[in-house]
Amino acid sequence: MRLTKQYGVLLRMSLMGVTARLGLVLTIVIGVTCAVGVLVSMLAMGVGARREALGNVRPDRVVVYSSDAQNTQQSSLAKDVAAQIPYLPGIRRNASGKPIVVFLVGAFVQARYKSGREGGFLVLGVTPGLTDYRPELHMTAGRLFTPGLHELIASNKCATQFENFRAGDRKHVRGSDWAVVGNFDNGTAVGLCTVYADAETVLSTFARNTYNEADVMLESAGQFAAFVDAVKANPALHLKAEHEADIVAENMQQLNGILNFVSFFVGTIIALAATIGAANSLYAIVDSRRRELATLRALGFGAVPIIAAILSESIVLALPGAVIGALVSWALFNGLSASPLNSSFHLAVTPALALLGVGWALAIGAIGGFLPALRAARVPVTAALRAT
Amino acid sequence: MKYLPLIWSGIWRKPGRTALILLQVALGFALFGVLQGMKSGVERSIANTRADVLYVGPGVFGGTPLPISYADRLKSIAGVKTVLAADGIPTSYQNPKQFVFVLGIVPTDDYLTLLPDIFQVEPKALHALRDTRNGALITQDIGKKYGWHVGDRIPLTSSVLKTDGSGTWDFQIVGMMTDHETGEGGFIVTNYTYLDESRASNKGTVRNFYVVASDPMHAGEVSSAIDRAFTNSPNETQTQSFRELRQQQLQSIGDLNFAIRSIVSAVLVALLFSTAAMMMQSIRERSPELAVLKTLGFSDRSVYAMVVAEGIVVCVVAALVGLALATGVFPYASKFVPGLSMPSDVIGLGVVGAVFIALISAALPASKAARLPVVEALAGR
Repeated sequence: MRLTKQYGVLLRMSLMGVTARLGLVLTIVIGVTCAVGVLVSMLAMGVGARREALGNVRPDRVVVYSSDAQNTQQSSLAKDVAAQIPYLPGIRRNASGKPIVVFLVGAFVQARYKSGREGGFLVLGVTPGLTDYRPELHMTAGRLFTPGLHELIASNKCATQFENFRAGDRKHVRGSDWAVVGNFDNGTAVGLCTVYADAETVLSTFARNTYNEADVMLESAGQFAAFVDAVKANPALHLKAEHEADIVAENMQQLNGILNFVSFFVGTIIALAATIGAANSLYAIVDSRRRELATLRALGFGAVPIIAAILSESIVLALPGAVIGALVSWALFNGLSASPLNSSFHLAVTPALALLGVGWALAIGAIGGFLPALRAARVPVTAALRAT
Repeated sequence: MKYLPLIWSGIWRKPGRTALILLQVALGFALFGVLQGMKSGVERSIANTRADVLYVGPGVFGGTPLPISYADRLKSIAGVKTVLAADGIPTSYQNPKQFVFVLGIVPTDDYLTLLPDIFQVEPKALHALRDTRNGALITQDIGKKYGWHVGDRIPLTSSVLKTDGSGTWDFQIVGMMTDHETGEGGFIVTNYTYLDESRASNKGTVRNFYVVASDPMHAGEVSSAIDRAFTNSPNETQTQSFRELRQQQLQSIGDLNFAIRSIVSAVLVALLFSTAAMMMQSIRERSPELAVLKTLGFSDRSVYAMVVAEGIVVCVVAALVGLALATGVFPYASKFVPGLSMPSDVIGLGVVGAVFIALISAALPASKAARLPVVEALAGR
């Protein structure tokens, strides 16, 4: 009881002195602000990228591709193999009773971004049934492409990145003129530029004869295990089935890995610098209060309440930095579009990131305050009182 | 010169505090060095990539490959010195996650001198490759990764099938080569004829040609002449110099410029406040000593200069330590961006930045020290 009372008094004394030591206090606040702001902003890239990529993922959607392929882009699905996939068990049927299976072939088309940078987009050739498989896709202009014609539809993102992607435009792809007949939104996430066209037309245009993958919608997510078993039961197919989420996550893995590594690498260094700055400021604060602390010790204040009070002061001073840092990061960067490493997404500063920032600040405060708190408790009473 | 001991003792008046400040500033500049060095390193790496080596590929990515007969037509184009053909198949070793790219070349002596930008090889290894139909050259990295040695026979699995319908390709390791850039998965080099004769489809085609222009200054013209020569043919080409390709590959890092600038400014602002607050505190504690100096005849200006000099010494020494740390980190950073090293101009920029921080953060404490009223300071008020 006595200890908590002493602690309360000490903490109040510490905090009342804040205005008198504004420079040192500001050092702690600004150091933490910068550390938390940078960490939260950098992590917001990875969070934004993942949020957009996983925005439309559903547990009842399955991707089927060659069992020896490293990823879906390298997979090749011959038509005779593909023809057997709709007979696998557990596949949902659409309103007219047909299994919801879409075969997909991707072809990369080189193009110049509006910014002048060289790049390109993927034309995805799909067999009929796209709207059954992707109900989240809704047309904002024009209509769907007609099978057999050189027609394509482009997501609204395309029109912002490249020229000539509005419904009604014409696009030159691989020696022939294609009509852009519609624009669409990819559901909740804005995502990358996505272009859909008829699978057979894409195959003949790009002189291919195999699909890359089959997209299958199951009756329910619970059917997944049975479906995978059925795929495995026929080794002659050379196929494997994975959740849509796993495919997306795998495609994201490299980008996410790099972004997270860079974020925590940079974040840790800045946090270390902020911790050292905080420790230095607190040492100076403790030094300037030597006589005061010695007097308190002489009056019978214990070492533990002093340590606790200085540590608390350090943490209390670090917290506003966390709040300001997270707020600044949110105000400056939330929703800002970024396109590092050939991907494109919006930064997302989420409450979870802000909380992480607060945790980071608590650590900076606690670690930075530890040694100065020990020194405060060890002030040699007689020497300090005698000093001028 | 006579001020040096004074400045020195000023700096070490509180050794703990100075050590912490040094450490903090060093950390800040280590970060600055890594980020800024990455940015400049990328720019320099682009400038150092050869512009006279051209990559001739199909006009459409993933489209049908080019016929090998194009080699003769390419040689006849004005300004072309050498034409080399290359093809490759994606394979994996033991499981699909262990990706190995197999590059098939025609092992002419041109590879000894012309294209160190792709890989470097000793004549003995190149000749061994020429003599072994399914021979392969490996890098030290990939050999260590999978435990391969010269003389080993390795089976690789590919989605590219052979004429007998199987996807298993055998290679005989006959020698070593040095990869110009340490790539992620790494690749091995084999004979183009082995690849082409064994595969079931796309026979007589190549993924790309390497064309070396005789005059680097006119490589751009050669590049457009090549693409013009094949327009409206069934296989249109797209020709780009290695430098252009490198630029596209590293563009994404360039897109991070904004982030790098933001981080570097946040760090510098934090350092500025920190050093300023610490110097202010130091001046406050030292006011009786400074008053003694003034009593002894030191002018306001020399007191000002001494305080500023202390700041500069601390910041510059710390910055140098930090930049040295950053230089030490660079071999690891080159994992993400092959061929990076610390550019010397970044070190210069860092030192200038350190002086700048010292000047700004010392301004207020120094003028306070200069204007110190001697009588009151001596009285301890």
